[in-house]
Amino acid sequence: MNRLKYNWLICRAVAEVTYKEWSAYRTHSLVSVIVGPVYFMVQYFIWTAVYGGQTTLGGLDLQQMIRYFGATALIGYLIMDFADWNLSMLVRTGKFLTFHLRPVHHRSFALFQKLGHRMLGFLFEFLPCLLIFIYIFGIDMRPASLPWTLVSVVLAFLMNFYVNYTIGLTSFWLVQSGGIRSAFLLVSGIFSGALIPLDFFPHWLQVTQLFLPFQYIAYMPAMVFTGHYSLGGLQLSLPEAVGMQAAAVLIMFGCNELVRRRAMKQFTAVGA
Amino acid sequence: MKKYVDVYKQCMYSAIQTASAYRMNFIVSSLITLIGNILFPLVTLLIYRAGTSFPGWSLYEVLLIQSIFTMSSGLSSLVFGGLLWTTMSHVREGSFEVILLRPLNPLFYIVATTFSVESVGLFLGGAALFIFSALHIGAISALAWLQFTGMFLAGTAVLAGLSLMMAAMSFKWVGNSRISELADSVLHVGKYPLPIFPKAVQAAATLIIPVGMVGYLPASALLGRAQAGDFIAVLPCFVFLWAGIWVYRHMIRLYEGVGG
Repeated sequence: MNRLKYNWLICRAVAEVTYKEWSAYRTHSLVSVIVGPVYFMVQYFIWTAVYGGQTTLGGLDLQQMIRYFGATALIGYLIMDFADWNLSMLVRTGKFLTFHLRPVHHRSFALFQKLGHRMLGFLFEFLPCLLIFIYIFGIDMRPASLPWTLVSVVLAFLMNFYVNYTIGLTSFWLVQSGGIRSAFLLVSGIFSGALIPLDFFPHWLQVTQLFLPFQYIAYMPAMVFTGHYSLGGLQLSLPEAVGMQAAAVLIMFGCNELVRRRAMKQFTAVGA
Repeated sequence: MKKYVDVYKQCMYSAIQTASAYRMNFIVSSLITLIGNILFPLVTLLIYRAGTSFPGWSLYEVLLIQSIFTMSSGLSSLVFGGLLWTTMSHVREGSFEVILLRPLNPLFYIVATTFSVESVGLFLGGAALFIFSALHIGAISALAWLQFTGMFLAGTAVLAGLSLMMAAMSFKWVGNSRISELADSVLHVGKYPLPIFPKAVQAAATLIIPVGMVGYLPASALLGRAQAGDFIAVLPCFVFLWAGIWVYRHMIRLYEGVGG
């Protein structure tokens, strides 16, 4: 119990400091208040034109599609992460040593930092954009099930973090992991479902996505939000979908732990 | 004038030499830029594969718009690609004085020294997609090619103007690495047929921030769909470029060498 309280205190302190640190750059977050709605507006007109007289496309009607894009944009603000870049920088400069000597696991420290950073995102990106979507675009942004959506977003948050942290860990071998990071961002951008719902992909590619981490980051929480999840012919109820997402997060955590243990053996504490 | 041409040539040569010193990095970053930018037609492909379409536009016609957009981005990025990040870095570090002390126009110096060789890949990727789409749309008249060339250059001027305005913004919004997202979001409109947007957006994308000229209008010219009124939109494009230059030079005058 004491251990739990100790960890909670560290989490709170790190998150609070990160929040204060990034508050100095809060106007940077406000860029999202313009960028998010502009992207959303373009998607809105694209899909309104594409639907034309059709009632459903990829199993979604127009309203569901608009809500899907609204949800992916908003969820993106809650789970945004750059743990890979941060870890890569620490390894490259040799600064990781200072974290190695601290009585806090670096992965936990990075996760707590992300919590603080996203709290700022919640206030300066998520809330303004949610209000714009509701009051300016008139979109119904009420989730089909608030509890399941919240759990799904938390799991997406963790999945995004563990995947990014694993990418960052490659710096222990490569020193400069910028190339892998860019390549991953590219693949993730396509297969997470942020550009287009995965229902539009060929069937074999949809089935492949069930075994890759990408869909658990954006597509699944957005579909849980809309109240209907199906991919590759697999139709799941919300609890089943969230259960599958939880299992995927656990597997990802296991993979991350394996890579981390190997990476620590590579660490030389010398910057490049 | 000759001095400026010589300096620019020397800067291009240096950029190529630098790229060849780190060949693998150059190849990987060029490939990723290329793949990342040519993948956006994927959404269009998937939409058409699902049996639907942008009303009045065939798949190859939409791909033509998007390939022209990519080519224009590649060309603009080649010349102006590094402008924003270099300006931002100098302003944040307070080292812009070094540029002001040089016996050259500071804007020219920054543009010349940020020649981005990696963007060649982007331009070539757009060109490949352009040839592929153009081969599927039938014969194109010589007049259409002429109209296309003029509009394509006007579209590239819009992108250059946007780069200059974003870079100028970094003089005041110090160290904001998200400035480029503002331009990217507006440019998103130019990747699709303009008629799918409401009249107000169409007017803004033609006359105020003429992003319609980056992909849609040159493609319309090639397809023989350009109206007489569309050619008027060439003018705001060059006004936009001029405004970008003016704003950047104005912001240089407001620069305060603080650093930190």
